[in-house]
Amino acid sequence: MSCLTDKFDRLRATYPPEMNSSLVLPLLHLMLREKGHLTESDAIFIADYLGVPAMQVKEALTWYTMLHRKPVGKHVIKVCRNIACSLMGAERIIDYLKQKLGIEAGETTPDGRFTLLLVECLASCGTAPAMQVSDTYHENLDEARIDHILKELS
Amino acid sequence: MIELKIDNRTVEANEGETVLQAALRHGIEIPHFCYHPCLSIAGNCRICLVKVTGRPKLMPSCNLAVTPGMEIETDSDDVIAARQAVMQFITLNHPGECGICDKAGECRLQDYHVRYGEPESISLEPKNKKPKFYDISPRILLDSERCILCSRCVRFTKEVSGSHQLGIVERGNHSRLERLESQPMDDPYSDNIIGLCPVGALLSRDFLYQSRVWYLEPIRSVCTGCSRCCSVKVWRRNRHWHLRSLGEEMNRKVYRVTPQENREINGPWICNKGFDLHKFMGRKRLLQPMIGGSVATVDEALSEAKKLLAAAKSPAALVSAHASNEELAAFKETLGSRMTVYSREDYKAEEGEVVEDNILIRENKNPNSHGVHAMFGDLPWSVDSGHDLVLVWGDNVDYTPMGNAKVIHLASFEMPQERHADVLIPISTTFERSGSFTNFEGKVNRFTKVFDKPGLVQQAGDVFGRLGA
Repeated sequence: MSCLTDKFDRLRATYPPEMNSSLVLPLLHLMLREKGHLTESDAIFIADYLGVPAMQVKEALTWYTMLHRKPVGKHVIKVCRNIACSLMGAERIIDYLKQKLGIEAGETTPDGRFTLLLVECLASCGTAPAMQVSDTYHENLDEARIDHILKELS
Repeated sequence: MIELKIDNRTVEANEGETVLQAALRHGIEIPHFCYHPCLSIAGNCRICLVKVTGRPKLMPSCNLAVTPGMEIETDSDDVIAARQAVMQFITLNHPGECGICDKAGECRLQDYHVRYGEPESISLEPKNKKPKFYDISPRILLDSERCILCSRCVRFTKEVSGSHQLGIVERGNHSRLERLESQPMDDPYSDNIIGLCPVGALLSRDFLYQSRVWYLEPIRSVCTGCSRCCSVKVWRRNRHWHLRSLGEEMNRKVYRVTPQENREINGPWICNKGFDLHKFMGRKRLLQPMIGGSVATVDEALSEAKKLLAAAKSPAALVSAHASNEELAAFKETLGSRMTVYSREDYKAEEGEVVEDNILIRENKNPNSHGVHAMFGDLPWSVDSGHDLVLVWGDNVDYTPMGNAKVIHLASFEMPQERHADVLIPISTTFERSGSFTNFEGKVNRFTKVFDKPGLVQQAGDVFGRLGA
């Protein structure tokens, strides 16, 4: 954990000293990048570091679905299932991904490469259907594009 | 002072007050779940919506500051319609299980549902499933399906007890109250959230399925757990519901103890020790007068005590800090002038107990030390003061330091002793008499008798009267 607290210290130095609560989310993101997923004990670790109540960090951690609380694969595929994407065929895209990866939504492939998640609006309604793979957006999806995207991912 | 109109009635409100506070203060009922006078304003339940003349939409009255000349309507058709809609929303996932819910009969949701609820839900979706028996602590259970997420309990742990041990996790339909998995709630004020809960989500394990609340009635009493002397309600079975089939034990039982609001002393809260007051009072009682360890009648015990008193050259009395002011006065009048009086503290903080904090809990674990000191001073007992007779009044006594002195002991509870008192007289508990205590700040708090005392048990005041005569 000591290398993690070094990173915490560096981030904290960029904030005014009294703004500990404002650091909760940045630290959760930082820790997520290090560990892949976060548990309650990570929330307690951050709370102890910042001197804020552990419950406050747990509330923030459970509020955001992008803060994974279960182990995820190397590539996290987040498919939008909101109304614009659904009108443009998101359900078909989701079914195709499930069938191609052989998993249900919320699951990870046995080889640990892909996790399939369904999310609410990705703010890409103009180019629906859309999905996000890790930090990259993919828009105007169809089966052929999905084949291509998955092939490109190592 | 600000003047405004609520339902065409001109009312005066204070600067900074909200419409809801002003209305409640003037006896105008506006329904509310999440608002509590001693907690911050959350404004999340929306049942307190009112119409403000000149504003296009209904406003939550709990979060609406009064302004001069404001005109409020609390029961117009659109306000009622809004309440009905809010009730539809709040009861969307609420299980209709009042029949098995401990809160039924004192539940805001139930009351408002009777007034504003509609017979059928307008939702066609199945109800949300959530954990039914989530353990908050060894004292408290949570039924997440009943919870309406008003956040009163969360705000209580943040703002009043300061433990921050509860929070609302997840979001939307998945939101629920939780504690840290690794840490069951051990807040010494935790049980307040049971009464604070406006629905039946937070349940006392001690009171779980013990009784319907409408069979019970509260008696105003005082907690004896420390020198704060908090006001409490002691819940006994209502006389009209004494049933032979229940048996003596169930008819004569304290079902629960809850806080009695007292702005001067404890506000609306008490600590968990107060919630356990009936367990403290329910310990094994001393019921039989004894002389030198063998059974005696009340008259025999009293005349033996009188004989010992008359023969004593240097009698002393150890006065209980659980005695009421009235009993202390009776003692002073009858025997007090004839003997050296020492004050004693019946109980000390037990291991693991919170000794003192800056909320309610005081370091002295007896209710009336202040009263004793005011009347008799605070001379502490010492072993070698050379008395040949000691009248010990109170519980939790060790006779060893009395040496060879004769011991007359007045006590309420049984306790094992190496030797027997020369005379032992059982006396009543706080639940079996009326009286008053003076708390550490000098504030007097009165308590009322909950039950009649058992047959051979005496009132200490009467005992002194007979011994002094």
